[in-house]
Parts: sequence; structure tokens; C-alpha cells
Amino acid sequence: MVNIMLRFLFAAFTSIIMGLLFMGIGRKFIARIRRHYAGPFYQSFIDVIKLFSKKSISHNWIMDFGVMMGFAGIIATIIFMPIGPFNVFSQMQGNIIIIIYFMTIGYLGMAMGVAASGNPNATIGIARALTLMLGYEIPFVLTVILLVFANNSSLLQVMVVNQQGGFMEWNAIRYPFAFLAALIALQGMLGEQPFDAMIAPSEIASGPMVELSGKFLGFGFLQHAAQIFLETGIIVNMFLGGSQNFFIFFAKQLALYLLTVAVSGIFPRYRFEDAVKFFWMAPTALAAIQLIIFII
Amino acid sequence: MLLTSTNEIKDNGMERILNFFRKKSLWMLHYCTGCGAVELPPTMTSRWDMERFGMGPMATPRQADLLLITGYLSVKSLKRVIYTYEQMQEPKWVIAFGSCPINGGIYYDSYSVINRLALYMPVDLSIEGCMPRPEAIIDGFTKLMKAIEKGEAVGYKKYRENYEWYKANQRNVLERTSAVLKEEA
Amino acid sequence: MEQREIILKIKENFSKSEVKVFDEKQFSVFADKDDIVRILSFMQMIGFQQLAIISAVDWIDEKKFELVYNLFSYTHIQQVLVKTKIERDNPKIQSVMNLWEVAQMYERDVHEFFGIEFSGNDDMRPLILHNWKDKPPMRKDFDSLKYSNEIYGTFKKSEEV
Repeated sequence: MVNIMLRFLFAAFTSIIMGLLFMGIGRKFIARIRRHYAGPFYQSFIDVIKLFSKKSISHNWIMDFGVMMGFAGIIATIIFMPIGPFNVFSQMQGNIIIIIYFMTIGYLGMAMGVAASGNPNATIGIARALTLMLGYEIPFVLTVILLVFANNSSLLQVMVVNQQGGFMEWNAIRYPFAFLAALIALQGMLGEQPFDAMIAPSEIASGPMVELSGKFLGFGFLQHAAQIFLETGIIVNMFLGGSQNFFIFFAKQLALYLLTVAVSGIFPRYRFEDAVKFFWMAPTALAAIQLIIFII
Repeated sequence: MLLTSTNEIKDNGMERILNFFRKKSLWMLHYCTGCGAVELPPTMTSRWDMERFGMGPMATPRQADLLLITGYLSVKSLKRVIYTYEQMQEPKWVIAFGSCPINGGIYYDSYSVINRLALYMPVDLSIEGCMPRPEAIIDGFTKLMKAIEKGEAVGYKKYRENYEWYKANQRNVLERTSAVLKEEA
Repeated sequence: MEQREIILKIKENFSKSEVKVFDEKQFSVFADKDDIVRILSFMQMIGFQQLAIISAVDWIDEKKFELVYNLFSYTHIQQVLVKTKIERDNPKIQSVMNLWEVAQMYERDVHEFFGIEFSGNDDMRPLILHNWKDKPPMRKDFDSLKYSNEIYGTFKKSEEV
């Protein structure tokens, strides 16, 4: 029991710390794309400490609860994801179906929390986020179905094992269209441009976060960090062969994250209905083509 | 008069440690009615790159630590600025840009523009000039950071201690009931 | 229609009005106070569709307010200022709300800053100024500096705030 607790704490802290580090490096990276310097790579840690040191205002207990639930939902999902060679439960080797199911809890918790804050901008923002979720889930689920068929298993650990033996064995090389579809879906999952209509600072005043102050925003920050770690981790496990070494695993995640950041650095944003339309056309078609090729 | 002046309030102990993190991550909310708004985009973007200091624009008062009053304030917008300031969460700081919030600037004789912002809310730092260049703005920010580190930038505490005085000043402008100038017979 | 023809038509119908030409696209018509609604409706009829702004001038030495109706025609590409003068004490004039609906706002604005009454326009709530109790601020006898010093204070370097 204690063992499980320790393993869980390790997974949670690793995901948060690595996620914050990725965020900081991503900010530095995007600054270089835009030809300026930006703060140090540990800027995100400073931000989080500052946010928790501020006073914060809560409107009702549902807001407190919702924000906590959003954070907990993402952390709970990380239990099921293999982090390199490490699994919190050694018997449950990362069932992808459970992961997809759990991932929505984070969004729903956030939706509950910010809708309780009573600000109309927050409600608009979270409605957009949930609509966008419908958009990217479909191509993502199609690629998952493909990989489940191909590996005859829904366990991420099995997929990783089947990809061992050089990068020519990676699913990214074997199923390039599905990989592309998953990358586009990842862009939407992380809410980066061109799919950041839910945040839109100048239009709906940063959407879901509009009423969050101090520690609530701090939890939002931590949730985003854990989300970056989780979602890049899933794609690395599914397509880039995972790894038996922590550092190689993190390096792959970072590379994947920097790719999405680079794309976001040069794109304006879609209106959210156009974004959903785009998700249902291009990446869905790519994933479907790959599925048809595989079946034939 | 003020009940408590700035010199009597100082941060201490734990606050000083947290101030180290606060000064390196100042998120600002800019209230752009005046001409100072146009000096901010170059300060934020690659030419002067304010993000080096961990500063960045924020969308709402709830998330921000620093309120920038960029230029003159009419009475009507003063009301909104006070709403905004009171929505911000402590610790919070105010920077006034240009001469207009200090002594009225070129609007010294206007019937609708206030002369001194410091009468209605605590101003931690004023950057003079009409308008200050981005160099001056960056200089002002670094001065504010030093003041925060030393625990001297305590405008929000001053506002709390002298709340009645500030409210009386605000009411004098916003909620007066009779004419200011007497009619000459 | 050329500018010349328009001016001829105005002269034909309103012999008392004075016309002053600025250039080939702009001219002004000075009309009597009692004629103003008739001349404006006539201008609207011959193709001046847009009322761009209503403004006022305080001629304090003459003890008069001058009202300026700024009209524009998209058919003739002509701009015209229709002017009239009214008494400074107890200033009152007919509203042109039924000719141009937008005049409601402009008249409210002029009322707020000059204190001119418009009969026929009932909605005169304050539009721009915040909680104004003094005399209308754009009148020449309103001392803006004195007002500003009185309420917003003067700058004293020694005093800490």
C-alpha cells in the first residue's frame, strides 16, 4: 500500500515538474522564433510559487471543488500512463481506453469550476473547449482504434514492446497518416494555436481562466503542466516507441512539445466552429485512410 | 490627511522571501485610455522585450499583479479603474504613466480629467514624461522590482490602512451632490 | 445637381437665407430661427440624406448661441452647414428628430454641453459627463481652470499622498 502511494506520488511530482519545465522551455523556444529572449527556463516555477502566494477569491464551494477536480482528473490519468519503464500499477499496463475515458474528467472538472464562477466569458470559453474536445476526439479515437487492431491489444505497454528494435519499427513510420492525424489532435488537446479559440485573451478575456485568481490560477497552471506531460506522453508511447530510459522518454516528449509550440508560434487562430469542422475533415480523413490501408 | 504614511509600513519575514518570486513574475493589466498605450507594444515585443523580467500582459484583473494607468484619466474612467483595482488580488501594485496622472499634464485645466491619481488610489511608482519612452518604462519596472524586493512597495497595504481617506476622496469626485462653482449673482 | 442649381433652389424658396460658398463641394446656409425646420426638411427632400452632426457655438458677446447642422448628400456629393442663431438666455429650438432619427443623440449631446433645450425631444438624460451638477461646461462663461483646481486639487510637491 505504502509502495503504491510512493509510486503514485513519484508519478504526480514527475509529471508536474517535467510539465512546468517543458512549459518554460517552450516559452523560451517560442521567444526565439519571435526574435526575443524571454525569461529563464525556470520561469514557470516562479510563476506558480507567486500564484500560490497571492490572495485568491472563491465564489462558492463548487468553484473550489471543480478546480481541484480538474487538477485531480489529469493526475489520476497519469497513473495509467507508462512513464518510460515506470508504471504506477505494474499489472495495469496503460489501458488506452481508460486513459481516454479519464482524460475528459479534467476538462469536466474545470468546466464545473469555472462555470460556477459566474462570469459569462468563462462559460463561453469552457463551452468552446468542450466543443473543441468533440472535434479532436474523433481523429484521435480513430488512430487509437487502428493501433488497437494492429497490436491486438489496448495496452500502451504492449504497443511499446511491439515497437522495439530501431526507429523503423515505430508506429510513426509504419502508420504515417495516423501519426499526422494524432499530431493535429495533440495540437487541439494542448489548446495551442491555431486551436486556442477557448483562451482568446483579447476577445473573451482568456476564457476559462477569466475569474481564476491566486491559487486557483496556480492549480490551472499545474493542470496545464500535467496535461502537457500526459498528452505528449501518450503520443510518445503510441507512435514514437516509448523508451526504457527516463531521459530518452522525456527527450522525446520535449521534442514533440516543441514541435507543437513551433506550429503554434506561426499560426493565427481558427474560429472554434471552423476548428471543429477542420478536425472532422482533415485529420479524420487521414486517420480513416490509414485505417482503410491497414484493413486492405 | 493620511493616517499611515508609506514609511510606517514594511514587508517582513515570510513576505520578503515571497517577494523574491513576486518581483520576478509581475503580470500586468494595462488600462489603456491614454496615449501611453502605444508605447507598450514595443516594450512587450522583441525590440525591448519585457518578458526577460518575467512580465507579461494579462487579460483580466483577477490574474494581474500590476495595474498600469497609461495616461490621463477622466472622471468616468476613474470609476472603472477603481473597480478594476479593487477586483485585483493582493499583493498588487499600480504604476502611473506620464505627467497626466501626476499633476494633470496638458489637461491641468480640463473639467473632466483628474489631476492627481495618487489622491484616489495608491500609486507605487510614477514614470514621468509625455509620454515616457520604452527605455524609461523598463527603467521604471526595474525600480519597482527593487522596491518590491526591499519590501517598500506596499501601496496595497496603504490602501487598506487608509481606506476611509481614499474613499472620501473618490466620493468627492464621483458622488458629489451640489455644484462646485458658486454662481456669481 | 450642381452646387449652383442647389443654391438657386434654396434662394427661390427661402429668400431671407444667406448663402456662403467655401469651395465647389462645400457651402453654408444661414437661416432664420423660425425657418430652420422648414429649410432642413427642404434640404432632406432635395437629397441631403445624412445629418452628420449637430454642433453649437457660444457667441457670448452677441449673447447668442449658433447652432450648426452639418448635412451631407450622397447624390450630389455636397456638404452643407445650415446655421441659425438663438437667444443665449433661455435657449430653445424645435427638435429635428422627426426628420433624422439620429438627431435625438446629437441634440442630447448639445443639451448636455450647452444647455440648449430642444422642444419635441423628451429624452435628455446625461450622456457623457459623470454626475454633472454645474453649469454646462462648453459655455464660455464656465471657468474650467477654476473648476479643475477646486475639485481635482492643485499639485503640491511637499505633501505626501
